[in-house]
Parts: sequence; structure tokens; C-alpha cells
Amino acid sequence: MTMHPRAADFPQSDLPGVIPHESELTAGVRIEPGRSYGFFTDTTVCIGCKACEVACKEWNNLPADNLGLTGHSYDNTGALSANTWRHVAFVETSGCGGVRDTVEAPFQSGWLMMSDVCKHCHNAPCLEACPTGALFKTEFDTVVVQQDICNGCGYCVPACPFGVVDVSPVDGKAHKCTLCYDRLKGGLEPACAKACPTDSIQFGELSVLQARAEERVAVLHERGVPGAYLYGTPGAPGATGDLGHLNAFFLLTARPEVYNLPAAPTRPANRVAPSLASGLAAVAGLAVAAAFLLGASDRRRS
Amino acid sequence: MTTQYPVLTEGPEPGLPRPDRASGAVAPSPGPAWDGPTYYGRAQLKPAPFENAVVGGYIFLAGLSGSSAILAAIAQATRGEEAGPLVRRARYTALLAPTLGSALLIYDLHTPSRFYTMLRVAKATSPMSIGTWILMGFSGCAILTAAAQFAGDRGVAPRAAGVVARLAGWPAAVLGAGLSTYTASLLAATSTPLWAAAPRALAVRFGASSMAAGAAALALAETDAPTRRRLETLTAAALAVELAGDAAAALAYRRTGVAPATRGRAGRVERFGAVGLGVVLPLGLYAARHWRDRAGRPEDGRALSVAAGLAVLAGSALLRVAVMGAGDDSAARPDVSFRFSQPDNLPPGL
Repeated sequence: MTMHPRAADFPQSDLPGVIPHESELTAGVRIEPGRSYGFFTDTTVCIGCKACEVACKEWNNLPADNLGLTGHSYDNTGALSANTWRHVAFVETSGCGGVRDTVEAPFQSGWLMMSDVCKHCHNAPCLEACPTGALFKTEFDTVVVQQDICNGCGYCVPACPFGVVDVSPVDGKAHKCTLCYDRLKGGLEPACAKACPTDSIQFGELSVLQARAEERVAVLHERGVPGAYLYGTPGAPGATGDLGHLNAFFLLTARPEVYNLPAAPTRPANRVAPSLASGLAAVAGLAVAAAFLLGASDRRRS
Repeated sequence: MTTQYPVLTEGPEPGLPRPDRASGAVAPSPGPAWDGPTYYGRAQLKPAPFENAVVGGYIFLAGLSGSSAILAAIAQATRGEEAGPLVRRARYTALLAPTLGSALLIYDLHTPSRFYTMLRVAKATSPMSIGTWILMGFSGCAILTAAAQFAGDRGVAPRAAGVVARLAGWPAAVLGAGLSTYTASLLAATSTPLWAAAPRALAVRFGASSMAAGAAALALAETDAPTRRRLETLTAAALAVELAGDAAAALAYRRTGVAPATRGRAGRVERFGAVGLGVVLPLGLYAARHWRDRAGRPEDGRALSVAAGLAVLAGSALLRVAVMGAGDDSAARPDVSFRFSQPDNLPPGL
């Protein structure tokens, strides 16, 4: 990767302040309001270092969730939660019944690792469900919970088809990845993407990322990874059921379920009208029955 | 450049397929449950952080109040002064949702002091927002109706009070229909598999159960025997509709593969408590009472009626709590949620 010409202007280690439009130097993209930004997480180059998890916790001041061992390979984080906004999944594909093979192919090809995150859906179910307007679409086309408005009703939690949003028992508010809204406002790329040492997590403008991802899939197919596909781009698995597309999308090499992702999630808001209409029809029918029953007794008496 | 290390051209023997095997070798088969890979059997979704007894209790009270307001308006319109006691009781019963129901809702918030932030937006995509405004509107109309009823009963401007109660009673009835059913929409418009699997059937069940509870509650308190019979017939009709909804929901659960989530404790409560105790038993009791009436022993049937009415009310409350619990079970089980999120369950056209 070539160095950005502006990077030569900042050779010193101690900087007096934030570099203007720093994301240009680190991610090759200038962050401007009104455009769509997102993550492209290429799982084929993830090495499972969890630098993203740590960077996220550091930047967002999030406490640890679990200090024990889960027994699920090297995944001791478990799942995304109110305090964990990046989660690296570890899947061991070789070996059987939990016993690791004694023979391994080179390059650790028996591993699948994926850094999971909030998908920042185009038609975000959490946002559509939020009754207070605490969840909103930012000027960067990302989905953020406003902590000064959320009243902890918890309706966004079951609304999310990916099991991302969580209510914290500590402060009673919903929390999830903000795609580093504060950093984007300051022209910085999100902490996880900046910390990722292999560029498995790439931050950028959505259309650019999607084109780059298509290219990467083609390259992988050429190199003999026929199972590589995108999850969350328009028309792909994960972007089903009227969700549109996911601003944080993934390149996967196994079924979505292997990574704990749904193959065909749906948009819950599409179920509002059918269920309301059927319920009201049933009640209206019974109300007509009630009018006949009560009215009939009237006639019979008179 | 020559390779410095031996390269295996073939990997190790493929292992035996197992449920959480990550190779993707296990083909998904549309069936009762997902037998493909899961992520260490961990949940793929998060269950709703609601307290089921609290929110289920609210849904029950909302249904009871909503249908009471409907019955108050209908009884007033069709029977007028003759149905005075029935209308009075129905108008007062409609106060359960604005008072106790609202308190339960606020209690269930994780930050109750901010309950008012619900009132800063109105959203058609969020049944909780729709429900907030239905409850607000209903509360206003129901409280006004009940206040006018109270004033009229105490002889304070009885004529004007009657007009106000009638005028406010109609919007209360219309909003009451929404209050009885929006709660089903609230559960259906989530990603929790069991709630999302049968949006229409769930709404029919909740709506019919609300009407059954309202009519049963008013029948329990009714002193006029013919009117009580009519209310009990209405209860039986609502129970029949609810039973049809139960059957439709069970079929949808089987078709979409979420049925395994109903085999837990909550599912058993739903089957035996909500359907058995709350629908089938009262229908049988009403049939027995009807048979006794025919046999010319109407007074013997009073105990049967009371038992049936109480069973309907208990079943209506259990239905809501059990559906919420079974939904949580379905969200916690990756085999159920992965089966539900297969492409064959996508709605047509998407």
C-alpha cells in the first residue's frame, strides 16, 4: 500500500493535536457528512488477534464482560453485548468432537475467525422499533443510540435480527457499536479498523468498499477458494427480507450459521400492518357479534 | 523461489459430521429443527429483556380494558338506559389499562424515570410507539367516560354527563380495539422466531382473547340473567375465534420450524393453561350450562358460568405470559432461530 502524500507532513511521534482528516492517511477515505460509511470485514485475513476488541473497549471506555474461559476455542468473549461491540468468533474446522487434529495443513487453514460487529443495517430494525427516537441514522448513514434519550424499554433487543443490541443492567440503557460516531465527526477512522493489523476490518465509503469486496471475492475464487462470498451486500445472504443492505458487511467462506449469523434475516416492521389488520378484523367481527347479541335481547324483550 | 517447508497437498481426513461442525458439510434439511452448524450452541439472538409477568400482565389488562370500552359503547347504543349497570361496570373496567396497566409498563422500563421520552416521537414502524399513542388516546377517552359516568351517578348534571360519556365512549371503543390487538403486533414485529412466525394468527388470538376476557368479566358481575346469557354467548364466540387462531398459529409454527420452542415450560403453560384451561374448558362449561338450561334447570348452571368466567380470565392472562416466555425460548435456541431464518421462510417477493 502506498503512503498518502500528506503523511510526510507528520513525521513526529508526538503530535500537537488531531491530524486534520486523519482517516485519509489511515484508511484512504475522507469522512464527510451525507455519505454512507461502513465496514468491510474480510474474514479470510483475520488472524484472531482481538486488537479490534481491545481498541473498541479502549476508545469507548467499555468494561470487560467475562474474565473466565468459555471453552469455545479461543473465543472467551462469547457474544456482542452492551459492553462488547466487537467480538472475534473462532471456529475450528478440522478435528472432530472437540478434539484437535495432530496434523494441520500449513497456514492454519483449519481456522475460521471473524470479527463480528453491529451491521448498521440500511433498514435498521432496532431503529424502526425504537419508540423514543433514541436510535437514529447519523449523517454518516450509521445507526447510533442517543444515551440521553433511551429509556431502556428494551424493544430494540428482540428487534435486532443479529442479536447485537443489548440493554446494560448497570445504567439501564441500550448500547451497541456506534461505528465510532465521535471519531467520524473528528475525521478519524473507527478504532477497530485502525487497530486491525491485517486490514481484515476495512473502513470506508460503502460503494467503494462493496466494489473492493467484489474484487476480493473474484481474486479468492481465482486462487482456489471457491466458497468465498459476501454477506450483507445488496441481494446477498444477510441482506434479505427487505433489510436493504448492511453497512457493515462480511466476506465469509462457510455457511453464515457457522459464524452465528442468520442466512436470511427479515425486516420486522413488515409484520406490523398484517398483524394489526388481522387483529382489528377479529375484534371488529366480535364487536358486530356483540351488537347483534345485545341488540337481539333488546328486541326480544320489547 | 523454492519452498522451504513440506507442503501437504491434501488436508487431514474430513471428520464425521456433527451438529456444530463448521465445515458446512452438513446440508440443511427443512425439518422440525435446524440440524446444521451452530456456533457452539450459543444463542444467535437476544431474548427481549422484558419481565414476562409484568408485560404479560399489561397485555392482559390492555385487552380487558379495550374490550370493556367496546362493550360499553355497544351496550349503550343497543340497549340504552336498560343496560345502565352493565355500561357502568364496563366503563369502570376500562380504567384498568390507563391506571394499573400504565404503571406496569413504566415499571418494566430499565430507566423508568424517562418514561416520557416515549412521547417525543410517533412511528408507524414501531408498534410500541403506535401502542404508546393508542394508550394515551384511550386513557384520555376512558377516563373522561368514567368520570362522566361517575358524575352522572352522583347526580352532577346527569344529562350533560350522559352526553359526554356517550361522546367520549365511541373514540374509547375504537382505540380499545387497537389496545386489544396492538400488543400482538408489538411481539410479531421483532426477530424473535416464535413471535415473528405467525403475525396474523397471534393478533387474532390476542384480539379474541381480549374480547373473551372483557365479556367474561362483565358476565361474572352481571345480575340480569338474560344479559348474562348474552355475554356468555359472546364469550364463547370469542373463544371459538381464539381456538381457530391457536390452530392457525400451531400450523405456522410447524411450517416455519419454530415448533420445538413450544416444547419447554412456557409452551406447556400455553397449551394446558391458555388453551386448555382458558379456551377448551370454558367452552365445555358453557355447553354444559346451555344443556342444563335446555333441561329446565337454569339456576343449577350459575356455578358453571362463574367457573367458566374465571377460567377465561386466567387463560387470557396465561396466554400472554406464556407466549412471551415461549418467544424467549425460541430466541435462546440457535437451532430454532437458524431454522426460522432460512431463505424458504422469507416472505414472498423478498
